[in-house]
Amino acid sequence: MATNIPANLKYTKEHEWALVEGTTVSIGITDFAQSALGDIVFLEVPEVGSEVKVGATFGVVESIKSVSDLYSPVSGEIVAKNGDLESSPERINEDAYGSWLIKVKIKNPSELDKLMSSEQYTEFCNSSH
Amino acid sequence: MTLRTQLYDEHVKLGAKIVPFAGWDMPVQYTSVKDEVLAVRKTVGVFDVSHMGEFFLEGSDAEAFADYLVTNDVLGAPTGKAIYSPLCRENGTVIDDLIVYKLSPGRVLICVNASNIDKDFNWIRSRHQGFKCNLTNRSSDYSLLALQGPESFETLSSMIRELPDLEYYSVHECVYETKQVIVARTGYTGEDGFEIFGDHETIRALWQKLMTRKVVPCGLAARDVLRLEVGYPLYGHELSDEVNPYDAGLGWTVKLAKSRFVGKEELTKKMTNFKTVKLLLDKGIPREGYPVLNGRNEPIGTVTSGTLSVVLNKGVAFARINLDKVPADEVFLVDIRQKPYEAQLVKKPFVTGGHK
Repeated sequence: MATNIPANLKYTKEHEWALVEGTTVSIGITDFAQSALGDIVFLEVPEVGSEVKVGATFGVVESIKSVSDLYSPVSGEIVAKNGDLESSPERINEDAYGSWLIKVKIKNPSELDKLMSSEQYTEFCNSSH
Repeated sequence: MTLRTQLYDEHVKLGAKIVPFAGWDMPVQYTSVKDEVLAVRKTVGVFDVSHMGEFFLEGSDAEAFADYLVTNDVLGAPTGKAIYSPLCRENGTVIDDLIVYKLSPGRVLICVNASNIDKDFNWIRSRHQGFKCNLTNRSSDYSLLALQGPESFETLSSMIRELPDLEYYSVHECVYETKQVIVARTGYTGEDGFEIFGDHETIRALWQKLMTRKVVPCGLAARDVLRLEVGYPLYGHELSDEVNPYDAGLGWTVKLAKSRFVGKEELTKKMTNFKTVKLLLDKGIPREGYPVLNGRNEPIGTVTSGTLSVVLNKGVAFARINLDKVPADEVFLVDIRQKPYEAQLVKKPFVTGGHK
């Protein structure tokens, strides 16, 4: 599958991306994920102020035929959520990397070291699918 | 090993996403489920449903045998008609749902679900004694396309010159490029459309021709959304070995006035264990297995099929409700990830298809 994997992001095995800016991490789903899901029709993420945990589910994204959990790449407090996406989740299909879902204030920066680089994620997508 | 239809390579060429279904590798979607659903509702789409099974009954008792096997009325329908029916056991439980096609006097085609081919054939063979007709399983000899949508007739009649403007649920044998095909005005989408049975090479040629005519290839995901939108049950979901036709809302297919048929004695008692209802949700997407609650948050049933309706942009579902627990005030909630979402009971199909 041809897929777009920007070099400036970090990635999870569950196909989330993380953009690190200081102590804030923006989180979304990858182009590979949006393509695999197909038409995205529903997004549910927690409210600002909620805590997320690394590796734990924090919300769901639904296509017409499927429900997929979202897994957080880091632990911390949600400081922003992309409210526009809940009313027009199809934007994730149009621009996966322009569509951040939540921003998290990270607690433990060492968690970032466990995420995949773009090269590792490319390799991961090619080998597992 | 999973089976592949003769059109598998065509699907791969078109970039289809392939998934295992009923032992087959089938195209689940080509481009977008939404676009595929809308093509069928507004223009024309085509499905490869060659995984489905084809049995033939041939001989003087062909119609009588089919009539005896199923709950709906085969004998009372004229030659050239197609009849949708459950196939039941003596105890009234549903083995499969199928379509009986009365091709010509003494010649009947039965089209069954892919996952039930062996079960159905063994069952039918076990009830065959005393009927003068041959029973053959020709499932591996036939490919099957479903051409569906308001432009189906225009499309198909430009390719099959002699195609008559068939009535809904009727069948006709005609010739496509020197080969005999069986064309029926049936489908599983609620739209006008045709199902075309033929040998593998002929159906492959027809598929390729349809692709050059810009007919939209559609996958199983779109098919499931389309059938749910118009309220058609699916075996393995609303129908199963555990339920009878009444439980699934198919009482209209049980013709107790027929002199005899398998299951008549039990089905005459009209006992129901469940009630199958249609639920519409303004918010939230119901999925198979989600609990259904009453206004007091008590579990009263389970979603058997659910999706987002492409046409309505709302959640739609079939749910199986425990009869003694149907709330009098008719408040239905669907429990989606531990949150109750209000659902409205709908009697009519969610979407009205444009079939004849």
